[in-house]
Amino acid sequence: MTREMKAANLALEHMKNLQVEDASVTAATNRKTELNVEGGKLTLLRTTLDHTLALQAIKGQRRGTVSGNSFEEEHIAQAVKDCVSSAEAGQPDPAWELAKEGQGDFAKGDFEPDLDKLFERTKELIDSVHSEYPKVILEQVITSHTARESVYRNNHGVHYNSRSGSYSVSLMFSGHEGDKSSSFNGGGFVTYDLSKPFLEMGSVRQSLKDAENQIHTVATQGKYEGTVIFTPDCLGGMLYELLGNFVTDSVLLDGTSLWKDALNTQVADPRLTITFAPSDPRIVNGENYTGEGFLARDYDLIKDGVLKRFMLSAYAANKTGKDRAPNSGSGFIVKPGDISLEDLIKNTRKGLLVSRYSGGAAGTGGEFSGVAKNSFLIEDGKVGQAVNETMISGNLAGMLKQIVGITKETVEDGGSSLPWLAVGGITISGK
Amino acid sequence: MIPDIISSLHGSFAPGAHSELRAQRSLARRVVLLSGNLVGNTRADSQGVSARVYRNGVYGFASAADLSQAAAKKALETASHNALFLDERVKPGKGALPGILSGSLPRQADFTDVEQKRYLDYVLPLDEHIKNKYQHLTSRTVVVSADSMEKQILSSDGYAAHILAPRSYIYVILNAVTDTGMPVEVFKAFGGRGSFDTVFSNPSDLHGEIDKLYDHLMKKREGVFAQAGEKTVIMSGDLSGILAHEAVGHTVEADLVLGGSVAGPMLGQMVASPLVSMTDFAHTAFGETAPLPVYVDDEGVLAEDAELIRNGKLVGYMVNREMGRHFNMRPQGNARAFAFNDEPLIRMRNTAIHPGLNKLNDMIAATEDGYYLIQTNNGQADTTGEFMFGVTIGYEIKNGQLGKAIFDTTISGVAFDMLKTVDMVSDKLSWASSGFCGKKQPMPVGVGGPELRCKVTIGGK
Repeated sequence: MTREMKAANLALEHMKNLQVEDASVTAATNRKTELNVEGGKLTLLRTTLDHTLALQAIKGQRRGTVSGNSFEEEHIAQAVKDCVSSAEAGQPDPAWELAKEGQGDFAKGDFEPDLDKLFERTKELIDSVHSEYPKVILEQVITSHTARESVYRNNHGVHYNSRSGSYSVSLMFSGHEGDKSSSFNGGGFVTYDLSKPFLEMGSVRQSLKDAENQIHTVATQGKYEGTVIFTPDCLGGMLYELLGNFVTDSVLLDGTSLWKDALNTQVADPRLTITFAPSDPRIVNGENYTGEGFLARDYDLIKDGVLKRFMLSAYAANKTGKDRAPNSGSGFIVKPGDISLEDLIKNTRKGLLVSRYSGGAAGTGGEFSGVAKNSFLIEDGKVGQAVNETMISGNLAGMLKQIVGITKETVEDGGSSLPWLAVGGITISGK
Repeated sequence: MIPDIISSLHGSFAPGAHSELRAQRSLARRVVLLSGNLVGNTRADSQGVSARVYRNGVYGFASAADLSQAAAKKALETASHNALFLDERVKPGKGALPGILSGSLPRQADFTDVEQKRYLDYVLPLDEHIKNKYQHLTSRTVVVSADSMEKQILSSDGYAAHILAPRSYIYVILNAVTDTGMPVEVFKAFGGRGSFDTVFSNPSDLHGEIDKLYDHLMKKREGVFAQAGEKTVIMSGDLSGILAHEAVGHTVEADLVLGGSVAGPMLGQMVASPLVSMTDFAHTAFGETAPLPVYVDDEGVLAEDAELIRNGKLVGYMVNREMGRHFNMRPQGNARAFAFNDEPLIRMRNTAIHPGLNKLNDMIAATEDGYYLIQTNNGQADTTGEFMFGVTIGYEIKNGQLGKAIFDTTISGVAFDMLKTVDMVSDKLSWASSGFCGKKQPMPVGVGGPELRCKVTIGGK
């Protein structure tokens, strides 16, 4: 029996002794091996060992949660005591629920890091950027391997054991020429192996190339309605902002979602299909089970423009009378379209190619306005110069009905598979 | 309070190598009431030891989730091994770091980690009061968030310390809809440094402030969209504080300067109006304890203020020991780590634009056409100094008087251009400290400023 299993079983036993009706425990160990690059130079090798002990108790329909990072018996006993007393201090709510069935053993990736190879790939990235993109300064690069061993147990007999190992890379950089510089650009990906150079993963090469082309910028003149092509890197953030406003627990619980009555109705252009698919082979470390103990399954959130689901936990589903989402939002996939990026750009009369959006959190009405960063002007079907101090504004919900095109090409970063997506009718303004 | 496990380990440091040991416990407590539903009721503890060893220009770091001397010694051994691994391959050849003052600070006072019931006993009646008093709400959220860091710090050649830094906040978020059905929202954070029982005593103490927040919401229901374009605005202290942190502070963190930030070539140059001065305060600002005081950093450097802008001129960066050597600047206590298993990074502490001589009322009266921007919900900036803030509470200024409330909007600009347009600075400094700065790791920071009159680009219809 592993340390994680022993810790989970002990915690569950303590919870049962305190007459908890529903109890769950996650016990996990994380080992991280990480290299840091600062200002283009390797500066740090970091190895960390940490535990997680996450407890949930529902007693008299009252719920408390506690997390700690010790597997020592006395700490487990104290954590259980804190968890139960937190639950007892709360309000009763019959909507809390844990899974009643489910079991599985999961293993993904290499559990042991290959530090020499990780170093080699990291150094290769630094050298490649230096020689192929000499105007780029790597402000920060973090490459790492994480090994995780985790168990989940609840008092209904649900049990999962998982073991995973994966590598992740994140980069932040900017282009420079004399005193001129681009905005910072970045990116990253997660992968099970180190078989390919980091430069060839995700959108890394394209973003580095863009950074060199974003050093010299032009101002946007006046204000106009145009088409915005969101790159895959930017699209993910925009869609997450949208989903947070319209389909997640909090906005359905407090009733502020504009889509609260939109299930099975057309909320987007029929070309748009959004899927959460943790089992998709392009996804690294896809969710195996939810925090409430349900086995994770793939599902379509929006299919052919029709809203098919909300991203609800079991608790929020019980509160709202809607269905629970089959996973917690893992494996974000937007179905590719039927047009090439080249043709999508050719078809754009006036607008922007936007790689990063820096904006205030959209209000519950979905209105957004923010700065188009790392972005290029598109005029008469051609990508022109990078722009500065350019704002874009529109409405998140309205945007999905103004889709102009979705590309055949996609970018995979281990957590998502996303195309370029063009939206018309966006307000674009300069100073 | 965590047991003293590292103060006797000075002898475990390898001769000639700069080494650090840290034992740390971090606590986070949270209660979330969403329209009366208790959707969050959590306590999180995390503790362990870490070691960092410097060798010729590279660092090795190691940590373990175990508060014991054996774990500390093991971490030190692994960190030394990691430093050697990098040194042998990278061969930076930079030699030892310049020395710093050494000594020991007295242990700080302990605080009470209150039971979860104490948070709930405060927040449940507060939520009930909001529900009963304000008729036009469509939803409400009340959040308690209390966190703390306790650190024992020992370094081979710096200061030793045992510090405790608790802070406690209550967030109130109120929602309504306009006559046309458009949702509107306002929020405010209350609280500050200290454990919950010392910061909050009676829920009714907040009633007056929540009345004011509701009043803003009702005015926002009758609001208008801001007119897009470059406008004269008066930023509240909340906004100027975020500006100081996000748009200026990050660009003068020495690691980002090395990474190519806009501030690199600007040292010694005018980057703002002569009315603007800015400092990253360590522990005391304008004669009072700063919101989140730092007395010693995680490299063992005794903390002192970092002066950044003096009368419009950029005069300094924030450095750690390594960057201090690179830029020939004295380390001033900016190297801080968030969790026990995080390495110290260059971080701000209490970053503020200094107050000036104007009165807010005079600033409004002197503005013919513009906006008074009061509350922000987030801010972002990049190393070019280009910034963006979301504005959630603001008013028109017409002919020297406040007008209608405005709906949510965004302001943007380039910090060192925008700061040159500052022509009035109020005499009132306000601080905020509830947020986290994000830079690889989160970090609690204080931000402050007076009201500033300046020109920015505002988004809108």
